[in-house]
Amino acid sequence: MRVSLTIFSLVLGSALPLAAQQNGVFQIRDLAFGTVFPGVSSVISRTDAANSGRFDLSGKKNRDVQLTFVLPAVMTRTGLPAATLPLAFGANDAGYSPTQAVGNQTVTWDPRAPQTLTLPNTPNPKVSIFLGGRVNPAVNQPAGSYTGTVVLNVVFF
Amino acid sequence: MPRLGVVPLVVALGGAAPLAGQGVLVAPHAIYIDHARRSGTVTLYNPNPAPAEITISTAFGYPVTDSLGHFALRTVDQPDSTLPSAAGRQTVRLLATPPAGLPDGEYWARLIISTRGGKLPITAGSDTAVRVQLNLVVNTNIGLAYRKGPVATGVALSMLRARRVGDSLVVWSRLQRQGSAAYVGTVRAALVDSTGRVRSTLTAPIGVYFVMEPRYALSTAGLAAGSYWLRYELVTEREDLDPAVVLRVPPVRDSLQVRLP
Repeated sequence: MRVSLTIFSLVLGSALPLAAQQNGVFQIRDLAFGTVFPGVSSVISRTDAANSGRFDLSGKKNRDVQLTFVLPAVMTRTGLPAATLPLAFGANDAGYSPTQAVGNQTVTWDPRAPQTLTLPNTPNPKVSIFLGGRVNPAVNQPAGSYTGTVVLNVVFF
Repeated sequence: MPRLGVVPLVVALGGAAPLAGQGVLVAPHAIYIDHARRSGTVTLYNPNPAPAEITISTAFGYPVTDSLGHFALRTVDQPDSTLPSAAGRQTVRLLATPPAGLPDGEYWARLIISTRGGKLPITAGSDTAVRVQLNLVVNTNIGLAYRKGPVATGVALSMLRARRVGDSLVVWSRLQRQGSAAYVGTVRAALVDSTGRVRSTLTAPIGVYFVMEPRYALSTAGLAAGSYWLRYELVTEREDLDPAVVLRVPPVRDSLQVRLP
């Protein structure tokens, strides 16, 4: 038996709830490959302070959070001719920093698999997730712009 | 346990004070809708100057633990997709329409707030350049429950055990929900030395929907070798939720003597 649910959006001037009641996920920095060259792989490390992808999480102390990336295998060329550009993620391409420092990633994992983390035992903790990866353009890779979408699912338990 | 039907929808947000990044704050941590009012609210706040595209949908799911005691979400339905729109800080009201004859009980779902980040500008290059752009979507997934009629909860605690791992004491227990509603509360653990002094503590929110064996780690850094008591309890207290939605039951406790080498 199902209960149907309708969602209305209301704009209210109410005060923001207490920090202890908030969950937040922010994309701080894109995983940036920039311009690459045919036949030359480009690798961005999760410890790259300028180009790694970065997400910040806030929540309640000691709260368990499950992170699941949905990662594209290829990026698709905009316009014609159609073409794809392979994208790869490895066993050590995701990292977690309880101090939001790229140089202090205390947990690393394969972003192709879910990962459950426990937020620090501090009031209103904020942590960071870093993501690296690799693009592998073919020698005859058509020039142009390639796009793809990375999805991060964050479950607050 | 019956499940809450699925429906998607809405929203979007204009910005406030500037902040690097793209995303929203979501409050509260879980939403409860009772049969009398048939509505609940969730507040979304975008602290960025740029509008954010927000999509809200629901799916059926509840927390479980895996063989290692880590939390995971067991889902059945995939979330529905929705169309985005645009606006400012918003309170979103959810209205439930139960079918006639809905049995008393608590019905569960997950609310998924999807934020699509701004697109990276593709950098200019020569005609022979290969330019790459990754777009990012963040889905924030929180609990949603609908309650009809009298509901009750409780939890049975058993199989408390612990093992030293590095500078931590890792603790497991078996938790089984009692009654017709999920047990939503807090786990508290404390390590007490032979003089009765509390040497390490841990507090964590928990929701028990069926059976789980969660894993927690208490710090033992700097503690001398010797015998300690592990005190472990579950209480129906949650500072992150409206007290009116927390079903109160007496604390459940157990303890265990452990020896640190």
